[in-house]
Amino acid sequence: MRLQELLLLPAILIPTVQAIFADDAYHVDYHWALVGQPQQHATFFQQPFAGSKASLIYTLSAHNVLAAINPKDGSVVWRQLLTPSTNSSQTFLAAGEGQDTLISAVDGQVAAWSSSDGRMVWEKQLGTSRIKDAEIIDFEDGKQASTSKDAIVLMEGETPTVMRLNGATGKTKWQFADTSGDVPFQLSSSATSVYYIAHHGTFLGGYKIKVSSLSPVNGDKLDSYTLSSDSEVSSPESILFAGANTASPLLVWADKAHKVLKINIIGTKGVASFNIENKGSGEIERVTVHAPSRITSLPHFLVQYQTSLSQWAEVYHVDVNKGTISKAYDIPNMSGNGAFSTSTVDANVYFTRVTTEEMIIYSSASHGIVGRWNRKVLGASTEGDAYPLYGVTEAVVRSNTAQAVRSAILFSNGDWSLLRNGESLWTRPEALASTLSAVFTSYPEAETLAQQLDIEGHQNVVSAFIHRLMRHIDDLRHLPTWFQSLPTNLMASFGGATISPDSIKKDSFGFGKIVILATARNRLIALDTAAQGKVLWNVDVSSIAPGSKLTAPQLTSLPNGRVQITDPRLSTPIIVNALTGESNNLQSDIVTTVPTGQFSTVVEYTLKDGELQGHIFGRPDEVVWQFKPLDGERIHGIAARPLDDPVASIGKVLGDRRVLYKYLNANLVLVTGVSEITSTASVYLLDSVSGNVLYSASHRDVDTTRFIASTVSENWLAYSFTSASSSVGSRGHQLVIAELFESSLPNDRGPLAASGNFSSTDPSSTVGDISKPYAKSQTYHIPEEISHMSVTHTKQGISSRQILAVLPQSHAVVGIPRQIVDPRRPIGRDPTASEASEGLMKYAPNLEFDPKWYLNHKREVFGIKNVITTPSSLESTSLVFAYGLDVFGTRVAPSFTFDILGKDFNKPQMLLTVAALGVGVLVVAPLVKRKQINARWTT
Amino acid sequence: MMTALPPPPPQWVLDLAATPTTKPKISSIPDPPGFTTAKQQRGASAKTPQRKPPTQEEMETLKVKKAWEVAIAPAKQLPMNAIGMYMSGSSLQIFSIMMVFMLFKTPITAVLNIQRTFLPFETPNTSGRLIQVKLVFLATNCAALALGIWKVNQMGLLPTTRSDWLAWEEPRTNLELAVPGLGIGI
Repeated sequence: MRLQELLLLPAILIPTVQAIFADDAYHVDYHWALVGQPQQHATFFQQPFAGSKASLIYTLSAHNVLAAINPKDGSVVWRQLLTPSTNSSQTFLAAGEGQDTLISAVDGQVAAWSSSDGRMVWEKQLGTSRIKDAEIIDFEDGKQASTSKDAIVLMEGETPTVMRLNGATGKTKWQFADTSGDVPFQLSSSATSVYYIAHHGTFLGGYKIKVSSLSPVNGDKLDSYTLSSDSEVSSPESILFAGANTASPLLVWADKAHKVLKINIIGTKGVASFNIENKGSGEIERVTVHAPSRITSLPHFLVQYQTSLSQWAEVYHVDVNKGTISKAYDIPNMSGNGAFSTSTVDANVYFTRVTTEEMIIYSSASHGIVGRWNRKVLGASTEGDAYPLYGVTEAVVRSNTAQAVRSAILFSNGDWSLLRNGESLWTRPEALASTLSAVFTSYPEAETLAQQLDIEGHQNVVSAFIHRLMRHIDDLRHLPTWFQSLPTNLMASFGGATISPDSIKKDSFGFGKIVILATARNRLIALDTAAQGKVLWNVDVSSIAPGSKLTAPQLTSLPNGRVQITDPRLSTPIIVNALTGESNNLQSDIVTTVPTGQFSTVVEYTLKDGELQGHIFGRPDEVVWQFKPLDGERIHGIAARPLDDPVASIGKVLGDRRVLYKYLNANLVLVTGVSEITSTASVYLLDSVSGNVLYSASHRDVDTTRFIASTVSENWLAYSFTSASSSVGSRGHQLVIAELFESSLPNDRGPLAASGNFSSTDPSSTVGDISKPYAKSQTYHIPEEISHMSVTHTKQGISSRQILAVLPQSHAVVGIPRQIVDPRRPIGRDPTASEASEGLMKYAPNLEFDPKWYLNHKREVFGIKNVITTPSSLESTSLVFAYGLDVFGTRVAPSFTFDILGKDFNKPQMLLTVAALGVGVLVVAPLVKRKQINARWTT
Repeated sequence: MMTALPPPPPQWVLDLAATPTTKPKISSIPDPPGFTTAKQQRGASAKTPQRKPPTQEEMETLKVKKAWEVAIAPAKQLPMNAIGMYMSGSSLQIFSIMMVFMLFKTPITAVLNIQRTFLPFETPNTSGRLIQVKLVFLATNCAALALGIWKVNQMGLLPTTRSDWLAWEEPRTNLELAVPGLGIGI
């Protein structure tokens, strides 16, 4: 026994993790670590800890990503993906002055995060009610340590509640319930009390604003008053601003027509009224109030007016002692859109204005300009006609001149840029975070070559030769440029220098493709896969097709580098040039991508009333088949075999050299159905022409609230689900893979035998189970759940495939080799010699994800919703692009790069060897010759 | 090797046997001890029986016998080759490929050179009997060839199974097509 242990001891020395080398990673992939569109009220500059010299930009984005951005280079310092249980419309982020924590409030969940590294400090679940507001109270009440200031939270619900939470632990200090039936609006705090602002409707349709002041110590209601705002406030949106954590918090509202502006200093009953004078052109569309949030800053604020054509602003001062508000000065009207933002230096307040041309900073005290810069747009910007929407600013002002002003501005095209003194330092394409759909398309020139080759392939030998000759003569035009680029290319390929993106563009390997993305914010964006995912262009869909809005866009790549966008909300498809983003919407260009000609019947299937329905293409009334899952189940997901799915071999060669024929049907649809009541999940593989069920499986004890990912390719299908046994209480994630064959017997092509074609509606004369494909399936336990599955796609289908699985918990994408999860792995015994020669291993129920399978390596890819693949020109390699929140792209070679020289191939050594051999030949040749002549003479 | 002619005797035997008959008359040198003069020797050699040259018929029988041996020689090689082939394994390596190549080359060249091989045994009388011998020679070489084919099959180089012809089998074409409708999200 001891000996056995001793013998096993060396086994622990064998490294269990065999990962790739660090310098092998990040060569072929690119990643945009995005946060989504930052929200104006939840974005600010802040020191990560008290006394820190540098500050970070903190934001809670519209995609519920809490992130810290380094203002120097725009990189993400840390990110947290907050997952609300419902799609809450309002999320909040608050930070106290000189604090090292941030308080986020999303849905019914309040959490504190460490500012410097993003770790969670505490979390508090507040039940089902949603949070309406969260603030930090910025004063000392004696008992509290100055390091962690308390938070106050307002919750909606049947009885709106105000809570004070301990900043260090998250424990509730006190809570105040409002039973008056008013609708809660917001919280505000001054140096002495907490104000709870609510509104209630009146009979005439207006809203009255009610302000209650609460004791910050114990939450007792001290006072309450109602403002007669019902003539102006017609909806809660009319309240423009409430708060500013200053000595004098404000409540600002305006009427619907933007004629009058009313301001109340919270805590007083007086309302100051100002008439709005329209200085610009056009109707006032938006009125925004910008006030400093620091408790020590001067009580000055700015009101911004925006029309469709111009914008201007007014600066107001509050006299705290008298409780009066007066207009200090006007900021002149400028055309176009502009963004104002507030920054404080000590007690002074500065307002920064960013327009499409300029960046101007004003002091709040007087109308003098402190700093003014013309904006410089960097060369590679895709800004185009985008205008600034809003932003945050940090300024350094000495002796009334601005030394440095940094503004993080969100532009209308979704770019989030940092402008320092008018100069754009970095740009984050946050528009990519709301991608709905994407498609790969090739460069037009690469495609024309493919077309030319195709033409030559279909001609007779002589005309093909002439065509080829003409093509080569035509290609001679490029010879001078080729000679010019030769030294650079040679240097690049030998010195290992980075090849410029332009040269990759024309690579013969087909790695350079364009990805066109359609976003929920109505934009079309193109990325270059060869240039590390650089944004090529970014256009607004409504500028191409006015008034349109993308909801469920479907993108199709057309020949000649064009992309067609169809959407249920678009009357006619849009066609854009993939290289430039220009639209040339000609009716003649629009193509139906369905090759109707070569098929006797074309069926289109759609989801209608919880049923999958197949009808004749173009005639929705002629329903051919309809499919509904078993009783109580609803359709959860649909996956179809891709239209373009080449298969190199129609059979699988066994170890004894017999053939198991694959069931290859181009029309396969995998439907997953779930039932919440019985907690079952079923999969049905349908023939999408006839609607016949070819294969089905049902699983009990499935957690139907979790992801069920599925995919179909070639002759196999894969799906994953989370099983949760109610009786045992255990949970686990399972991956099921099923493979379909024509027949269970080798060397048998099934009931159709050698017939050359195949009809789904009239399959064969045989009836019963024999007419269905033979399916073999196996289930594996996987360590994590999979939210989405895709399959790699190579040009000829010769390379083996990988299942690309998105792991939402570890924020990763793994490529599971298809041969590892082969359903023919022998169970409970070692493989026989012939099985081993097929590469089959003994079945092991646990499938651990090998670290080498992680396509993203150490990077974290957040919120991936879909992964698309496309073949490159090399058979070994498939291009992968993942989108959702982050954008991630890479290349995978499931059977390794057998058709390309590796990076470690020593080209100089090869050249030296050839040169040495050449020199050797030159040296030895005369010697040999002399010897031969001598040999002749001597005999 | 009874039929083979005895090799010509070496020089020293000839020298010994044919001592110079003409002894120099004037010679003071006596013969070395043990040296017998030719006169004495001649008497001794005359006693040994003179070998009879083989008759034509005997020669032909011998030639056919010899031809038979040539004909069955490949069969004798067979067991050794078989063991060699078995030992070299069925993997595709340069060594086993070379062995298999030799295995094929030897019988084929032997069969091609069959006339030349049996030319020394060819006489007007034996040619009739040699046909049989040649047929046997052919058969034994075929056996060696069969061993080669068996070996090649063992290595999986013979297209005898279904999988070898898989690439020529056409996939079935679908007569119908189904496409996902707009908004189905595939």
